[in-house]
Amino acid sequence: MDKKQSKIEFFHKLFSDNLSSIISGNELFKLIRRFKKIESDYYQQSKTNLLEKKIAILGSYSTQFLTDAIKLYLYSMGISPKFYEAEYDSIASDILDQNSDLYQFQPDILIILTHYKDIKTFPSMFCDDKEINNWDQSYLNYYNNLWKTASKLNCQILQSNFVIPVHRSIGNQELLYPFSITSSLMRLNQSLSVHKPANVTLIDMDYLASCFGKWEWFDDVNYFMSKQGFSFEALGNVSHYIARLISTIFGKINKCLVLDLDNTLWGGVIGDDGLDGIILDPNNAVGEAYLFFQEYVKQLKDRGVILAVCSKNEEEIAKSVFEKHPEMKLKLDDIACFIANWNDKAGNIKTIAKQLNIGLDSLVFFDDNPAEREIVKRFLPEVEVIDVPDDPALYVKALLHSNAFEWHQLSKEDLFRTDYYIANKKRIALETTLDYDSYLQSLEMKGIIDIVSKMELPRVAQLIAKSNQFNLRTKRYSEAQLIDMQNKNNEYQLIYARLSDKFGDYGVISTIILKKVNDQAFIDTWIMSCRVLKRGIENAVLNYIALNALNWGCNCLIGEYLPTPKNALVKNHYQDLGFKKISNEPEENVEQEGNRYIIELSENMQMKKHFILIGG
Amino acid sequence: MDNVKEKLQEVFRDVFDDDDINIFDEMTANDIDEWDSLTHIQLIVACEKEFGCKFKTTEIIDLKNVGEFIALLKSKI
Repeated sequence: MDKKQSKIEFFHKLFSDNLSSIISGNELFKLIRRFKKIESDYYQQSKTNLLEKKIAILGSYSTQFLTDAIKLYLYSMGISPKFYEAEYDSIASDILDQNSDLYQFQPDILIILTHYKDIKTFPSMFCDDKEINNWDQSYLNYYNNLWKTASKLNCQILQSNFVIPVHRSIGNQELLYPFSITSSLMRLNQSLSVHKPANVTLIDMDYLASCFGKWEWFDDVNYFMSKQGFSFEALGNVSHYIARLISTIFGKINKCLVLDLDNTLWGGVIGDDGLDGIILDPNNAVGEAYLFFQEYVKQLKDRGVILAVCSKNEEEIAKSVFEKHPEMKLKLDDIACFIANWNDKAGNIKTIAKQLNIGLDSLVFFDDNPAEREIVKRFLPEVEVIDVPDDPALYVKALLHSNAFEWHQLSKEDLFRTDYYIANKKRIALETTLDYDSYLQSLEMKGIIDIVSKMELPRVAQLIAKSNQFNLRTKRYSEAQLIDMQNKNNEYQLIYARLSDKFGDYGVISTIILKKVNDQAFIDTWIMSCRVLKRGIENAVLNYIALNALNWGCNCLIGEYLPTPKNALVKNHYQDLGFKKISNEPEENVEQEGNRYIIELSENMQMKKHFILIGG
Repeated sequence: MDNVKEKLQEVFRDVFDDDDINIFDEMTANDIDEWDSLTHIQLIVACEKEFGCKFKTTEIIDLKNVGEFIALLKSKI
């Protein structure tokens, strides 16, 4: 292998191992320099696996190093970015001048990096509440105006909040007085978070700075010398975090934490040490560390992360800890998929993904054993493997440093997800006792199918960002683009479907985008959550969109299937629903991306059969 | 070549990713194509790491050539 190729291989390995956020400024600079030399070759060799995105970055401080570092982390997350970097301190002028290069560039993501020095005036000493409100409102208006103008770019905006400085004139009283700089900036951060529009995501930079340590964060020498916004030692942290937020916007989201048991959830080996031998005693420092980790994992589950167990153990013995150990914070009901056997873990993890019906690339693997981690890294490169430290006291921080479960947004549906898998076990039990139609009837399903309003929009945007399997065309749209479509309601219809049954409420589980092209209604997007496969929702949805298209003055529905490595599930979706394949017409010389299907519409067409009670 | 100069040469070779760089006292940014404000910052960071010292703002601004760089480093270690 020649020298250059070995340098490229170095980055292939580095990126597939997940470049850590814990790295010194100097080390990161070295990587940046080395990568620059081979970037174009690396890109040529990997481009088929990379998502290409355009990112504009505007800052009140120098952003060059940050741009270079974010680039490295994005590559390691499977995204190849093209950057637009503005002149330093030109946020407002770039955004407000719609002839600026920024608008030419047409970014997919706009990053705005603020600095507390952007705030030129503060409330006066001992002023009244009214002055503070006016101050807050005037800056809120300022940023609202920037966001509103930038929304013409139709892209998601990531803006950092203000890092509250360490220097303070009122000392310990800063929090007591609402006019102090600390109190004012905290309030402004809060106002921005509460009042931001849907297409803006605030980067909690103040949290990052606090975690890093603000005394070091503010590197005054380098700020004065070359307008560096923060210490080079925090560059890895910040870039990793921002890159992760960007990748979640593009649908790269981890959904499930796969946990080992022995020496991961408790100290010792249950098979050898027995129930009273394993370390889980809150009065013992090591036991407390494992309990702290379990508590954090439980919090993740409560906010919607699916938990799975993958352990080399006898299943019964492993489960006995969950059932019988009085200190266990995690219970069997918290675990959506429990695999304890002596097979290899890569194979078991594949089974977990299959059972949960989620992609391997949405799994995160946490195991204290480096050999197991290595096997999973080698055989399942899609799975994110956490570098677990030797000391269980540091497990929580290891998970935090990975930013593995940083999501772009939360939705109520996520919260019920794990409960769904538990209820599903009961559903499957019912399924085996009845014929399928009777089974569907016995579920007592109720549904709503309607036009997307502001309320459903976040969940619909999430489905569009995350769904891979039941997704006919896999077109990703940002919330900003969806709002744009909502406004053009003579051209687009955004439709959603909700479902509940006697076991629980699934919330919004399907979304469809119809596009009117003359007298045809084109199904631009058809997505459904795989949790509700084979329930007849497709039939109910088709009835609804057929009627809507008729009322729209269309005489047919056109569907299209664009194959991806993940959506083979819906290969025959349109044929199964009674659509006819449109034969390709090569003479037109129009390059078609995928197969198209048509179904004629008429007033007296046959409605599809289903067992869902549709209500408004 | 003395120890400081040797270590500094290694830093230069590392930062500019060029094993053929030989530093000399009169050397300035004009002698290396890639020596711009960005690589200068990286040089400073790499030196602070390598020599375990911190530079003052005035010291960084006043640096005129490699000879002065070496003298400054010697005064700090």
